[in-house]
Amino acid sequence: MASHGIPRYSVQTEKSEEVRQQELRKIENYRQIDQQVREKVAEHQYTPETLQKISELLSKNPEYYTVWNHRRRVLQHEFAQAVASCVEGSASDRVAALIKDDLQFLIPLLRSFPKCYWIWNYRMWLLEEAKRLLPLPVARRFWQEELGLVGKMLSLDSRNFHGWGYRRFVVESLEHLAPGKESMAPAEFEYAKKMIGANLSNFSAWHYRTKLIQRLMDEKLASDEERKKMLDDELDLIHRALIDPYDQSLWFYHQNLMCTFDPSIAQHTMAPNLSDAERVEYLRREIDEIQEMLDGAEDCKYIYQALIDYTLLATKVEGTMHSEDQQQIMGWLSELKKLDPLRRGRWLDFEQQLCR
Amino acid sequence: MPNTQSNQTLCVQKHVDYIKNLDSRREELEYWLTEHLRLNGLYWGLTALHLLDCPEGLPRDATVDFVLSCQHESGGFGAAPGHDAHMLYTVSAVQVLVTLDAVDELDKRGRANKQKVASYIAGLQDGETGSFMGDEWGEKDTRFLYGALNALSLLGLLDTVDVPRAVAYVQQCENLDGGYGICPGAESHAGQVFTCVGALAIAQRLDLVNKDRLGGWLSERQVEEGGFNGRPEKLPDACYSWWVGASLAMIDRLHWIDGSKLAAFILRCQDPENGGFGDRPGNVVDVFHTHFSVAGLSLLGFDGIKEVDPVYCMPKSITAKYLSR
Repeated sequence: MASHGIPRYSVQTEKSEEVRQQELRKIENYRQIDQQVREKVAEHQYTPETLQKISELLSKNPEYYTVWNHRRRVLQHEFAQAVASCVEGSASDRVAALIKDDLQFLIPLLRSFPKCYWIWNYRMWLLEEAKRLLPLPVARRFWQEELGLVGKMLSLDSRNFHGWGYRRFVVESLEHLAPGKESMAPAEFEYAKKMIGANLSNFSAWHYRTKLIQRLMDEKLASDEERKKMLDDELDLIHRALIDPYDQSLWFYHQNLMCTFDPSIAQHTMAPNLSDAERVEYLRREIDEIQEMLDGAEDCKYIYQALIDYTLLATKVEGTMHSEDQQQIMGWLSELKKLDPLRRGRWLDFEQQLCR
Repeated sequence: MPNTQSNQTLCVQKHVDYIKNLDSRREELEYWLTEHLRLNGLYWGLTALHLLDCPEGLPRDATVDFVLSCQHESGGFGAAPGHDAHMLYTVSAVQVLVTLDAVDELDKRGRANKQKVASYIAGLQDGETGSFMGDEWGEKDTRFLYGALNALSLLGLLDTVDVPRAVAYVQQCENLDGGYGICPGAESHAGQVFTCVGALAIAQRLDLVNKDRLGGWLSERQVEEGGFNGRPEKLPDACYSWWVGASLAMIDRLHWIDGSKLAAFILRCQDPENGGFGDRPGNVVDVFHTHFSVAGLSLLGFDGIKEVDPVYCMPKSITAKYLSR
C-alpha cells in the first residue's frame, strides 16, 4: 500500500488471462497459509510445524505484524518447554539454539526489506529474550554478533534510519552486559569517523558523532580545557571538510558546533562553560573563516546563511548590534534572497525582523 | 511512459474513483498482502475523500461496521478482523469514527466502549519515561506518543494519561538542529518532527519548540524539484509534503517554502489516467501517498480542496466541531 520507487509503467500493462490466473493462484496459496496459521494459533498449537508455517507466511509478507506476534508466542512456548523439561545447562543450550535459528531466519528478510519496522522490532525482542533467559556470557555473544550485522547493513545503506537506531540499541545493551559496564563511546566514535571518512555527506554519521562527543566528554569528566580542545579539533575538521561548501550535511554539523556559542542552548553542547568573551572570540574568528570560503563560491547560499546566523549570534552575546554588522547582514541577506528563491518567505520575515 | 510533465490540474474525479475502488481489488495479490494496513488505509482513503469534497464516497454503515469488526475486548483495534490490537490502528479507528460522527457506536455496539478504548491507549504509556509503546510487545516510537494524544484528545479523554511526562519525553528527542528523532539520541527526521510537534500542539506546549531553528531545518527539506525530502541529502517524496508542510504550518512558518513549486511537484506525482499519487513523478500510486499528497495540497490552500487540520490530519471542519465539544 505504501510503494516507494517503483516506476508506474512497469506495472501498468494490461494483464493477460494467463497472468491473471497465475495471480489468482498466488492469492489462493497465500490465503491458505494465512488461514492455516490462524487456525493453529487459535488452537494454541505452538509447535515446530506451526513455526514452519509462520516462517512461510512471513517470507511472503514480512509486514504482517500479527504473524510476528504469533511467532513470539510460539517461541515463548518453546522456551518455557525447554526450561521445564531439561536440566539447567541443557535448557539454556536449547534456548540458545532456538534463538540462534530464529536470528538466522531473519537475515535474508532484513536484506530484502531493510526498511521494515516489524522485522527490526522482532529481532530486538528476540535479543532481549536472550538477555532474559540465557547466562550472561552466552547472551553477550549474541549481542556482540549484532554489531557485525548492523555494520554490514549500514555499509549497504549508510543512511538507513533503522540501521542507525538499531546500532544505538545494540551498543546500549552491550555496555549494560559488559562485565565492567565499560563505555563503548570511544569505539563508536571511531566507527562514526570511519563512516564520515567514507562519505562526508552522511549526516546520520555526523549526528552520531555529535552525540558521542558529548558522551565522551561527560564520561571522562573532561575539564573545560579538554572540552575546548575537543571543540577546536572539531572546528578544524569541519573547516577542512567545508572545502565543498555546497554540502548541506556539513553545514548542519557546523551548526551543531556553533550551538556551543549560543548561551540559550550551550548547556546541551560539548563545551557548556565558555565565557561570553570566549564565545564572541570564537564567533568572530568563525565569521572571518567563513567569509574566506566565499572566494570562488560566491553563489553558495549556505555561506551567506552562516554569516548571517553567526554575526547575529555574536551581536546577541555582545549585547549590541554595531551598524557595520547590520550593514553586512543586509548585504548578505540581499544575496541570499537572490540565491535562495525557494525560501524567500523566510528571508523576508527575517528582513522585517531586522528592520524593526 | 505516462505523461508526468505537462499535467498540472488536479484530477479530482480520478482520485475519488481510485479511492472508492480500492476495496474491489480482491483479484490482486497486493490487496491481500496489505491487509495489515486495512484500517490505516480506510483512514487515509476516507480523509482524502473528505478533503476532495466527496464525504459520502464510502458507504457509512459498512465503514463503521468494518471499524468495529477490528476491535478487541481490550478496547484496542487491529488492522483488520483477526489482526492483533496496536496503537497505530486504534488511532485510525478513532479518527475514522470521529470523521463519520460515529463515536457513539462504540458504546452502543463495540466490543469495548469509549472509556475502554482510552484505557487501552493509556495502558501503553510508560509511566517512568512518559513515552508510549505500540503494543504489548514494547516497541517505542514518538509516532505512538503522538497517536495516543491525537486519539485521546478526540475522545475527550486526554486526562487518562500523564501529558506533562509525555511532553518531557518529546523534549528529550529534540536535537541541536531544532528537529526531533524517533527516540532520545536519534537523528532528526521530518516524519518524527511531525509527530513530536503534533504532540506538543495537542498538549498546548508549542512554546517549547525552537520555531526559527526548526523552521530553518524544515524549510531546507524543499529541494530544487519543489518536493520535500525527510532528511538532509535525501530524495524528495510526496508524503513529506505532509510531514514537513504540516509541521511548518503548526509553527506558523509554512510561508518559508515555495508553495507553488511544492504544489507542482505533488501534481506531477499523480497518475492522471487511473488516479492516485505515488512517491515521485511517474511511480506507482498507493492510498498512503494519495492521502498525504491531497492533504499537502490542502495545507497550501489548493483550489477545490477542503481545509485540513495540520495537527490531526483530518478535515478542519470536523476537528473544529469535535474538539469544541
